[in-house]
Amino acid sequence: MSAVPHPAPGDAGLLPRDFSYGEVTRAVSDPVLVKRRWRNWWIALAVTMPFVLATLVGLVVVLGVGVGTWGINSTIVWGIAIANYVWWIGIGNAGTLISSLLAITRQDWRASINRFAEAMTLFAVSIAGLFPIIHLGRPQYFYWLAPYPNTMTLWPQWRSALVWDFWAILSYLIFSLLFWYLGLIPDAATLRDRATTRGKQLVFGVLALGWRGSARHWALHETLHITMAALAVPLVCSVHSIVGLDFAASLMPGWQETIFPPYFVVGAMYSGFAMVVMLAIFIRWGLGLERFVTLRHFDAMGLIMLMCSLVMGLSYATEWFMAWYGGDHAARGLIAHEFAGFYGPLYWLLLLFNVVLPQVLWWPPARRNLWVLAGVSVGINIGMWFERILIIWNTLSHTYLPSMRHVFVMSAIDWIFILGPLGLFAFLFLLFSRFLPVASMYEVRELGHREGAR
Amino acid sequence: MSAPDAGLSRRGALKLLSANIALVAAGCGKPPEEIVPYVRMPERLIPGIPLEFASSLALGGYGRGVLCTSVEGRPIKVSGNPSHPMSLGATDVFAEAAVFSLYDPDRSQAVRKGGEIVGWTALQAAVMPHFATWAASKGAGLRVLTGPLTSPTALRQIGELRQRYPAMRWHMSEALGDAAGRAGAMLAFGRPVTPLPRWAEVDVLACFDADPLGPGPAQLRNARGIADRRRVRAGTASMLRVYAGESVPTLSGANADHRFTWPLGGVENALIGLARALGADLADPNLAPEVAHAVAAVAADLQAHPGRALVLAGPHLRPELHGLAHWINGRLGAPLDLFAPSVPADASSLDDLARDLAAGAVDTLLVVGCNPAYEAPAPLRLGDGIAKAKLSIHLGQMFDETAAACQWHVPESHPLESWSDLRGLDGTASIVQPLIRRLYGTRTLHAMLAALGGAFDADDYALVRETWKAQATDFEPWWRAALEAGTVPGSTAATLDLAPPAPPKVSPAAEPRGLTLCLAPDPSLWDGSFANNAWLQECPKPLTKEVWGNALGLGAQDAATLGVVDGDLVALSVEGRTIEAPARIASGHAPGMLSLTYGYGRSRAGTIGSGVGAKAFGLVGREGQSVLVVAAAKAGGRAPIHSTQEQFRLEGEDRDLYPVLALGDMTAKPLDSHDGPVPTMLPPHDYTKAAARWAMVIDTGACIGCNACVLACQVENNSPIVGPEEIDRHRDMHWLRIDRYDHDAGGGFQPVPCMQCETAPCEPVCPVAASVHDSEGLNVQVYNRCIGTRFCEANCPYKVRRFNFFGYATDQAYGDLDQPVMQARYNPNVTVRGRGVMEKCTYCVQRISGARRAAEKENRPLGDNDVVTACQSACPAQAISFGNLEAPGSTVAALRREPHHYALLDHLDTKPRTTYLARIRNPNPDLEKGSG
Repeated sequence: MSAVPHPAPGDAGLLPRDFSYGEVTRAVSDPVLVKRRWRNWWIALAVTMPFVLATLVGLVVVLGVGVGTWGINSTIVWGIAIANYVWWIGIGNAGTLISSLLAITRQDWRASINRFAEAMTLFAVSIAGLFPIIHLGRPQYFYWLAPYPNTMTLWPQWRSALVWDFWAILSYLIFSLLFWYLGLIPDAATLRDRATTRGKQLVFGVLALGWRGSARHWALHETLHITMAALAVPLVCSVHSIVGLDFAASLMPGWQETIFPPYFVVGAMYSGFAMVVMLAIFIRWGLGLERFVTLRHFDAMGLIMLMCSLVMGLSYATEWFMAWYGGDHAARGLIAHEFAGFYGPLYWLLLLFNVVLPQVLWWPPARRNLWVLAGVSVGINIGMWFERILIIWNTLSHTYLPSMRHVFVMSAIDWIFILGPLGLFAFLFLLFSRFLPVASMYEVRELGHREGAR
Repeated sequence: MSAPDAGLSRRGALKLLSANIALVAAGCGKPPEEIVPYVRMPERLIPGIPLEFASSLALGGYGRGVLCTSVEGRPIKVSGNPSHPMSLGATDVFAEAAVFSLYDPDRSQAVRKGGEIVGWTALQAAVMPHFATWAASKGAGLRVLTGPLTSPTALRQIGELRQRYPAMRWHMSEALGDAAGRAGAMLAFGRPVTPLPRWAEVDVLACFDADPLGPGPAQLRNARGIADRRRVRAGTASMLRVYAGESVPTLSGANADHRFTWPLGGVENALIGLARALGADLADPNLAPEVAHAVAAVAADLQAHPGRALVLAGPHLRPELHGLAHWINGRLGAPLDLFAPSVPADASSLDDLARDLAAGAVDTLLVVGCNPAYEAPAPLRLGDGIAKAKLSIHLGQMFDETAAACQWHVPESHPLESWSDLRGLDGTASIVQPLIRRLYGTRTLHAMLAALGGAFDADDYALVRETWKAQATDFEPWWRAALEAGTVPGSTAATLDLAPPAPPKVSPAAEPRGLTLCLAPDPSLWDGSFANNAWLQECPKPLTKEVWGNALGLGAQDAATLGVVDGDLVALSVEGRTIEAPARIASGHAPGMLSLTYGYGRSRAGTIGSGVGAKAFGLVGREGQSVLVVAAAKAGGRAPIHSTQEQFRLEGEDRDLYPVLALGDMTAKPLDSHDGPVPTMLPPHDYTKAAARWAMVIDTGACIGCNACVLACQVENNSPIVGPEEIDRHRDMHWLRIDRYDHDAGGGFQPVPCMQCETAPCEPVCPVAASVHDSEGLNVQVYNRCIGTRFCEANCPYKVRRFNFFGYATDQAYGDLDQPVMQARYNPNVTVRGRGVMEKCTYCVQRISGARRAAEKENRPLGDNDVVTACQSACPAQAISFGNLEAPGSTVAALRREPHHYALLDHLDTKPRTTYLARIRNPNPDLEKGSG
């Protein structure tokens, strides 16, 4: 990756000085419109296929045979499904944050990466949405969480965090789809106009919704975009806060903590940014977008990850402090269990990946070295997954009554659903990168305009 | 080349084929079936109203009176008969599980000859020619082999057979017989006796290897007697004190005030030391100082309670020690009743039979009620011997090891479908009456014995009535009363008035040459006859919580010497006989002592019980002794140990979960440390309009850990079986579990059903309102509404909810895949739960509902004791109280005011309705420091 020569970034701007509108249009639209060799793409797709198939087989098994195929037990009733759900929702968070929070705060560098970050959100949230359903004992009745009219006049039980969660995921999924599509409209119009085949003209023509690029279109689009961005920020915070409440609104030591909502939001942003960094490295290499996704972008994202790692470290320390300060026997016992219990080694790894290793990002050259960034990002994603699963494993396995203390026994389905969805995600992303513009052309052009492009 | 002579031409084959097709088409439709309603309802049978019948079930031959619940002709539940002295209204696990055995699909269903299904008449034809021979030889060569028999009818029949064939011999196979105890009684009194303590009069009990609370026909009586004398309420000043000196862990040791862990020889020497302290002239066993101190303290305590102190010797001690214990009891004036054993002593031994079989002296052998091919000592080679008999007939409920060794097999009726009678340990007789028509073409023991006498179509009912005919001049009312009461009036044996024995000569125990293995009946499978009963296979053993197997128990020190850890296979060998069992390190084993239970390692138990565990009977020598000096070595390889609890030791503040108090300072520290309500934003629940507020108080001091409640709950509430693989994934489905804990202040058992919290953590987290509160305080689960998020169990601090990870009720191989006959076992008042649904203890809401309906019909308020939960009814120690807090004079309300009352995890403010009484110890002040 780093072997690919990088164009020197402009002194002030994010984009190269010799940047031109046509260049960005070509670079982004050509992969979609112009025939070229896709050998690497096919290889990548082939690599993801076993994972996709495994996921499908896993789904059939879980739905057909039952949730007993997970490794869960009477003590640890939640397992990989819930950890994966939290982790994938977290991955999803970053995309929306990049598009909305950075749009509102006028962080222009987001322009090159927001499209695929939003796509990442969409795919991650879709995958995340699977887990709560396939973790249910009777998944066929998942819709009972919705307040639909029924002959028994039964309603959901509103005090349950799972009902809040149902709404949070649903609104988030719908919102990210709309938001992503809104940004896609002007680019779809560009593709429609440049398309050379009738089929592509039709598809992108329908997607463009009759976009003509008139000033009124742009004005309305801009207003809607910034309004939705403003809506997105609280939504992003709420979705992961509510995920946090799934745990916090309980009576179990290690879960019942007021810090959980903000801590989950930051954790989500953290793993999400790490995922964006990974994807950005792959996409700019795979599609040759080095001139638009520059080291300045990585530098900025590195700083955000550094900030998150500090907040995460502080959150962990707060948990430890509160357990000690609160003096509750169960809470103190849990902290001791986290460090020295059955899952102790994983907890130490978590701290290494989430808190210690990212400190390398204080050093500016590290933030611009893609190898270092890739390593730190992979570490963060693993560390954050450990965090999700350990929240479940530690609290539930170290339950109040010692007689019911058991450990989790991993099953084949657990492994399938740890690894399979990663491949499914890559598969969806590959399809996206082949058939839709991976960067927001109009926003990069806008950025270029501001930086004085011709 | 000519075609081979098949005897059938092409044309002929085609003809036959078409004839076949025509036949199939014409003749093989479904037989016409029609259903008809009752035109005239059978007397007393009202649909939906269960009937209860008194009967008796045998364990080791001895009867325990039971009441069987029958719903529309199907027996579904067994509970204790309060008027039977060996039951006192309680049940043990074996009685509770009888229903499963009745409907077991593996039950033998047809007469077989060499495995081939034949008819009863074929057997008749095979036996007929022998009658002339027996008549000529006076029955020489005719042998009947039974298990321990107490049935007056069977004994009468055997007596009549003996009269008819004087040379016939009757042998008895007593695999779990107390040979040492009987020999000890012979030494002391010159005759066998059955000792039964008068518990109400006992103040001090010293057990030397004895396990009165362990499984057996006396367990219910002992548990009740001991619990009654150890029940502590505010103001109780004295209670029974129990000492236990033992080498391997037992239930009695776990429930003792002082438990001394001594090697078996040490236990014997301590008993000798005790006898010396009481004035016996015996050789000094040279006790170690700490043992001598303990023995002196026990001796002083026993002597301080003349007429109210009791010493019991256990089955692993030498006969002389039993004799010595009888002498000590005589010396102390112990409240011990001696009865003539209900099992007559005039049967010949298995040893004799083996010799005669080998010598070819046996012409005809009838085997009933025992399984010698499995349980007989291996050196007797009984399996081979049976093959030498000219005619061998086996009567049994299963086609088991012995059935396979015999030429003929006759299916036996289950006790719940046959007429018979049984005596208890104290001689009390009960009539066994059938609750259901025979499911298959089975025969009873009585029918078989009658057949030997020539009556092939004898009627059991008539045979049993014949036995009791002489009891009353007006027989019918007498018979009816005996059936209704479940006991035969006046049948309890008179106590023997025997002269106090002289002290026997006892030499101190020799140092064993190797590891000593103590064998004992299994708390779940007894002698193995229950091996195919999945309820029992999955019943966690009281002390180890092991299921689906029997591990070799040993101490950490011996495990280190052998170089084994939990689950490593250990090869045990005695005189060339070797078995392998997985090791399990457990506290309570003296150095050099190993423990293993009988009942496992069956090869033909059935689809469920075959091949489970290690066959302890395989080690037993010719004398059938239960103590063996074994050579043990690491065998290489591992076998899984399936267990439902992993952590037993409580450290630090976890000890508050299981407080143990001394009798003296019971009131010193309030256990309900909860100070005022915890602030909450949720509105309080309004119980003021409720007709009842149900609550349960469990006395952990009384609980002996016997599992009767666990089984009763499973039977009553249609709880499924999950099998060993699922147990390994920690998915057991018992709604009520018994946690065992130990810590420095003591240990014991804590039955944990649902706490039915008033502010239940499971309720607010359920997204679909499947976990809801009812007006009477029950935390109820709506199965139809549950979608299986499992948040309720995640948030339950007590982890008492159970989830159907798979369709356990219908798809579980270990539950016999819910075959049609098994479905008959279900309690129709309880929903059978499907896959993906959470379930939990309901306080037997179906019983509450029944009681409420009854109260409404009679237009009266619900009383305090109108509802008895299944666990409560089963408990032999009466540790579980259940009732209505609103009722005037409520028992549970009073118990909740006791000083040693506490709620589990009180500080979480869950306000549980199930609460506990702390275990109270009665330590000897002289031993408080440094006791084992």
